[in-house]
Amino acid sequence: MSAEWAGPVVLAEGLERSYEVGEEKVLALRGVSIRIERGDMTAIMGPSGSGKSTLMHLIGCLDSPTGGRILIDGVEAQDMSQTELARLRRERIGFVFQTFNLLPRLSILENAALPLRYAGVPNRLRLERAAAALEAVGLGDRTRHRPGQLSGGQRQRAAIARALINEPALILADEPTGALDQTTGRAILDLFRDINERGTTIVMVTHDPAVAASCRSTIRLRDGLIEEAGPTAFFEATAEGDSE
Amino acid sequence: MINENIRTAFQSFAGNKLRTLLSMVGIVIGVASVVAITAYGASASESIKRQIAKSGLETIMVMMGRDAGGESLRLFKEELAPELEEIEGVLQAMPVNQRSVTFRAGKQSATDTIVTALPGFVPLFDIEAAEGRFLSEADLTERSPVVVLGAELAATLFPSGGAVGSYLRVLGQNPQQLRIVGVLAKKSDAMGMNFDSTAFVPRTTYLTRIARPARPDRFIVRADGSKDPAATAKRIETFFFDLTGKSNAARVMSPSTVAETLSGVTDTLTTFLTGVAAISLVVGGIGIMNIMLVSVTERTREIGIRKAVGAPPRAILSQFLVEAVVLTGTGGLLGVAVGAGASYAAVKALSYPFVISPAACAVAWLVSAGTGIFFGLYPAARAARLDPVAALSYE
Repeated sequence: MSAEWAGPVVLAEGLERSYEVGEEKVLALRGVSIRIERGDMTAIMGPSGSGKSTLMHLIGCLDSPTGGRILIDGVEAQDMSQTELARLRRERIGFVFQTFNLLPRLSILENAALPLRYAGVPNRLRLERAAAALEAVGLGDRTRHRPGQLSGGQRQRAAIARALINEPALILADEPTGALDQTTGRAILDLFRDINERGTTIVMVTHDPAVAASCRSTIRLRDGLIEEAGPTAFFEATAEGDSE
Repeated sequence: MINENIRTAFQSFAGNKLRTLLSMVGIVIGVASVVAITAYGASASESIKRQIAKSGLETIMVMMGRDAGGESLRLFKEELAPELEEIEGVLQAMPVNQRSVTFRAGKQSATDTIVTALPGFVPLFDIEAAEGRFLSEADLTERSPVVVLGAELAATLFPSGGAVGSYLRVLGQNPQQLRIVGVLAKKSDAMGMNFDSTAFVPRTTYLTRIARPARPDRFIVRADGSKDPAATAKRIETFFFDLTGKSNAARVMSPSTVAETLSGVTDTLTTFLTGVAAISLVVGGIGIMNIMLVSVTERTREIGIRKAVGAPPRAILSQFLVEAVVLTGTGGLLGVAVGAGASYAAVKALSYPFVISPAACAVAWLVSAGTGIFFGLYPAARAARLDPVAALSYE
């Protein structure tokens, strides 16, 4: 399989996801086709209930679709077992969450190194690589701190270091600035842009037009379907006044 | 990966010290009880063995059988002694009578056992006189009115000492005055006889002056130590069986049968108590399962994060399984230490020799670790099966 895969990092065709709620079947995604090219920086937008979280979980291989195909970095993921999905996440995807999701009892260094533990990297090498990753996000002098001892922005940087540590094909960020003040949020977005400029594909799920504006392209969902998709600049005029 | 999981386990315990400690208590108590009980049992057995070894392997007691009204009673007679001495392995057969009497010396009195003794007792029971001497061949032939006292009896009758050379009276139908020629050194029980509160008189003296029993109530046999005393005991049994055709005509007690009986009792008790202790291990295991289920629920989000960064279900399973095993294994180690310490204290208080079986400790510890696997499996499997999306959004 492919470090050399040159096709789209995310390719979805007719993606469906339904949930059983009691007797009823609820369709969260009803046939979504997307294509995210290597090096892209894409925002997935939409009001709550639009299916954007569901789509993010499918792209992130945290969940499996009930219909359609999805290829991550050229690998078909729709029929994979939990173990295979875990491997795909570990090798090709890095996550950044709104609430950081760092393990509170581990140091920043150990947190950043965590994905490598499951990749079977020896401990010393792990910590070396984590230190380098933290250095790269500007936390080189905070490695021994625990998440609770850091500010929100610093925590999010640590989470980004963790997402980068396994050199993923794709970074998936879920409202990465949602818990941060505006200035800190800006700095985090700048960091994402830097990372993207160095070649990593980024997908951000957000309902914040300002976040979407920093992406090259936008996918807008409504009621489990794609409403619009295209270069962000194209949306900017219509995005004004768009609310949840 | 295992090292990693052990480290993670200790990190998680460090964050919950009190709870970790409390959840281990059940296992600690279970393992400690098993270790303490087996060590205590082994020490008690060892103590019995040593006592028997001290009282001499060559002593065999022949008592009357249980049906006192039957033939066995008539069977026991003085003249049986030479016949017994013809049995292979028997060096000497000594008829013995004993009864409870009241002694008086000055203002002191005591009711204790008086035993007819022969000089042959000395090598058999390792008798040592602390003061004076034991009974002699001459005492026997001359039917001397002399007595030798056990240490406690002497102390009761002569609280301020000076027993040897003094006189005591044996009360009863034929009150007798006896001269004390010796006091024995303190000695623990041997073959069911308490030497310390016993008075020994020459057999001839007893039969002529104190009582006229129709027949001896037991024979003490000195066996040839080089000819397997246990086999000799068997031959004595056969001798009585041939004589009467009854299997219970005489009770033959050799050190090995005593040891068998006593260690049989100890073993049964040990097995029973170990079973009880094993139940507490199961209870401890259920406690572990409970705390692990709580832990998995509490750490749902952590599990979600680990899964998101690529931990496969197996890694989560082994993390929580190792955590349970480390918990019970640590509890097991503590339990072994506590059990060994407690049994050591108990055994020393009873002045037994301390015997602890490393194998029993190892087994108890392994069982505690196994308890972790057994009771940790379900919570760990539950953690491994958690849906990553649901786990990540768990508050």
